[in-house]
Amino acid sequence: MSDYLCHDFKTPRTDTSKRLPNSFKAIPILFYLCVIGGTYFMTMDWMAYKRAEKDKQQAEATKLEHDEATKKLQAEKAALDAETAKAENVAKWIEGARNLQPIIVAIARAMPPEVRLSDLSLERSDQVPANLSLAVRINGGSATEVGLLETSLSRMQYRSYSPQQSKDGDVIEYRSTLVRQEQ
Amino acid sequence: MLLDEIKSVLSFAAFNPEADDATVPWSKRFEGRKTLLINVSRNQTSWRGISKKGRFEDGGVMDGEFADIAPQRADEWRMLADGGWCVVSVNNRFIVSLENNMMRGDNCVSLLRTNPRAVLGPKYDRGKRYAICHHPETAASMLLACEESMVKVTEDVLKTIGLRPGRVCCGLFSLTEHAIHQLYVAQRGAAPPNMVLIGACEGSVSVLVQQDSQWKELRCRSGLGPDAVETALQIITPLIQKVPQGSPVYFISDGQDAKFRADIMVHLEKLGTTDMTQEDLLWRLIGMN
Repeated sequence: MSDYLCHDFKTPRTDTSKRLPNSFKAIPILFYLCVIGGTYFMTMDWMAYKRAEKDKQQAEATKLEHDEATKKLQAEKAALDAETAKAENVAKWIEGARNLQPIIVAIARAMPPEVRLSDLSLERSDQVPANLSLAVRINGGSATEVGLLETSLSRMQYRSYSPQQSKDGDVIEYRSTLVRQEQ
Repeated sequence: MLLDEIKSVLSFAAFNPEADDATVPWSKRFEGRKTLLINVSRNQTSWRGISKKGRFEDGGVMDGEFADIAPQRADEWRMLADGGWCVVSVNNRFIVSLENNMMRGDNCVSLLRTNPRAVLGPKYDRGKRYAICHHPETAASMLLACEESMVKVTEDVLKTIGLRPGRVCCGLFSLTEHAIHQLYVAQRGAAPPNMVLIGACEGSVSVLVQQDSQWKELRCRSGLGPDAVETALQIITPLIQKVPQGSPVYFISDGQDAKFRADIMVHLEKLGTTDMTQEDLLWRLIGMN
């Protein structure tokens, strides 16, 4: 149609308001953009939250699995430790049951013929059966015989621990704790 | 109230023109909304709806006084109009006269609506509503004066049945305005220096005579009725004789008075009259522009 505009003589209204300029359309446009943007970010956050929740559940399940494996391994270790302790006790018992006769023979053979052993005692320690408490009285001996005695003991893989010797006339009294040396 | 304003901004309704903003074409005011067009004559009322897509829908015609017809058709009319907005074309109790040296300007039309005294000066009559159509090239103007009481009664009747008039106009004046626009503006220079423009709508007739490119005489009779062919010819014939023989005669008409139009065209065809009438012209003029 043409640009002709029809006349109008209706009763004018007094309660009309001036129309907003077109530039103000930016306000509702921005509003809707904000709503859309907000909805987008909220949706993305919600989806990320749900994903994180799922990951957390998975991690918790994995942690539970690992805890169970740890408990199982700890139980196995405890059983092994118990076995080790038992084995150690057996080893101690074996150490404590080592024969004393070779030591006595080695001490006797170490002494020269002119020296006599008037007294010799070997006692196992109550606390550590592998340790032996040695007490010997050498008649007509000197420090040389004590050295020979210690040498013969060391050949038997024993080491003297806190040796004590005392001389009373021709008698030398020698006391020591023999400790077995591992190879 | 504040909530309504916020809603209107967010729905962009605040940027659309007011439903009764006379400075905006009707089709732009009601884009995507159904509206109703009502054509009120002295003893007859016709109506037509415009769909949301801007197409004309089926209408109707009913004989009788408008105040009697409106309550009977209220439900049908309300269905045809979103928000009850309608255009009313009154075709009775008006007069069109020829004036010279009337105020012109961009705000002249709106001022004529709100403060007609400022435009018309001593020509202003308290009980009238006015519309104006200027000659594009001379100082002459056509001035429509319609009885204010009739406009108010029509508006009140519509209000009582829940309809809101967004425009009140005169069918005959619209047709004449459109013909002038076509001759002087749309087809610039097409208007011959001597011519006669005859308008007829719902039993009202107007005849405009132009001599030497000047509007010289205008005669108008409203509410003649569709049977008053002879009376109309008595108005038209002397005015046609005022222009030189062979001068073009234009005829524009619409409305429900097909018989009146046909009868009068029998006489006008002898003068080589150009018929500017188009289908649904009145409805298009008041419901689209």
